[in-house]
Amino acid sequence: MIVSWVSLLLLGIGVLLACTAVAALFWAARNGQFRNYEKGATVIFGDDEPIGQPTDMVFAPKVRKPKVNKKS
Amino acid sequence: MSAAAEILEKPRTQTPVNMASADFAERAAIDRSCRGPVLFFYTSAILWLLAGSLLGFLASFKMHSPEFLDALAPLNFGRIRPAHLNVVAYGWATQAGLGTAIWLMARLCRIPLAKPWILNIAIVFFNVGLTLGIGALLLGQGNSIEWLEMPGYSMFIMFVAFALVAIWGVHMFVRRREGHVYVSQWYLLAALFWFPWLFGTACILIHTVNLGGVSLGAVNWWYGHNVLGLWFTPIGLASAYYFIPKVIGRPVHSYYLSALGFWSLGLFYSWNGMHHLIGGPFPAWLITASIVASFMMIIPVLTVAINHHMTTKGSFHLLKYSPTLRFTVVGAMAYTLVSLQGISMASRQLNQITHFTHYTIGHSHLGLYAFFTMIMFGAMYYIIPRLVGCEWRSPTMIKMHFWLSFYGIILMVAALTFGGMAQGLNLDNPSVSFNAVTEGTIPYLQARSWSGIALTLAHVIFAVHYGMMLFRLGRKGKPTLFVDLPQEAKA
Repeated sequence: MIVSWVSLLLLGIGVLLACTAVAALFWAARNGQFRNYEKGATVIFGDDEPIGQPTDMVFAPKVRKPKVNKKS
Repeated sequence: MSAAAEILEKPRTQTPVNMASADFAERAAIDRSCRGPVLFFYTSAILWLLAGSLLGFLASFKMHSPEFLDALAPLNFGRIRPAHLNVVAYGWATQAGLGTAIWLMARLCRIPLAKPWILNIAIVFFNVGLTLGIGALLLGQGNSIEWLEMPGYSMFIMFVAFALVAIWGVHMFVRRREGHVYVSQWYLLAALFWFPWLFGTACILIHTVNLGGVSLGAVNWWYGHNVLGLWFTPIGLASAYYFIPKVIGRPVHSYYLSALGFWSLGLFYSWNGMHHLIGGPFPAWLITASIVASFMMIIPVLTVAINHHMTTKGSFHLLKYSPTLRFTVVGAMAYTLVSLQGISMASRQLNQITHFTHYTIGHSHLGLYAFFTMIMFGAMYYIIPRLVGCEWRSPTMIKMHFWLSFYGIILMVAALTFGGMAQGLNLDNPSVSFNAVTEGTIPYLQARSWSGIALTLAHVIFAVHYGMMLFRLGRKGKPTLFVDLPQEAKA
């Protein structure tokens, strides 16, 4: 008795989750998330960390030095 | 906070003065808002990592020298081994993943972290639940269901933590300032939905319903495989999809493929678990459907592999300079490797040899360590300087950490893979006695213990370095740190 009650509940939650996934897919398509892929890929860059500029150079004193020389 | 917050308050279009400083201030404010919860998660993750390394090493040592420390009951192999698994999987990997996921969510939503108290409560719940669970395991109160060995009460406390983080994720997502949902965010949101569901369902089925026999095995491996596929994999890939393009400074090679990869992962991965039960007394359709789904995984795996390789191509020299990129690229390569290996292991022919051997343990370390843990280390090397406001003190320590981890995990996976192959072939050969098979694995297991020493050493170095960062003993460096905010804003 308990088994069937719990399994029905879990089944319901599972179906609900699957429906959420389908809804998310529809939302994404309608919202234009699948349009203009080139632009979407660039959202992680900003004006101070633009495309073409590496952002993590812990081991590279040599790369930063030329910039200093140019300025001075 | 005030200067950055002022800039954040204004709409982005109305700041024509200096866009560069506006972006910088926005990012700095977001990073700073994440400091408390993310460092809280990372600190407890690293403490659990040290405990997990020790437990793993002990378990490994007992495989070839069972008499070692066997007088104490809590240090018996039967308790140490599940304790190792649960400590590294939940204590380390899950908390490191949650810390990274929180930071990525804030950055990708482009809003400062909201409601940090939800996360702080979650961290406390999580660690209390886990400590109770591991204590119970060492006291011999665990069960034999792999990945779910901890008692029900501790898992329920942990479930509250997962649910709280998921609620927080939704809270952040609906308030986001960035309209486009970046591929990493898809992975993270999905993981935050999937995991509480998986965890909760498995807990209810195992601890309240008292399943037995075949259905228990099915629930066990449905959960055991999905925890890798629908929890660690999405977080690891979200991290790789953010850090590889970000560090190199080049957008993802094919954004279309990344979307395809995400949706196909969601479609196929949850079917895979039953391939752990090949040869077991299960309905044939269950196993066969799972094998088919396992082979379909080639679609998401190849899309990710192509994307990460093509994005990094031409920039491999940056691996010399960036610890983040180094760890993340190694992790991404390991993802391709471990996934293709996993697909091959789902075939009945190979499974016949590798099932119940050390080969499987090698596979799981390739996944959870070489893929997930390496990517988490990479993410931490990027995130932590931006939270504490100074650069890592010692490149030498980072290099030692990297090479010890790198060679350590290669040695471990190689020893277990070849040892497991030999073991499996011998087990299938009726003319070799079981005793001879077992004795044949000893040299491989000893090699694995050596790799455990290397990995433990790597983790100690990393933990010391992290501790130095917490006390702000790092270098005052230039790279993208928010301590530079006033100067940058002036310039």
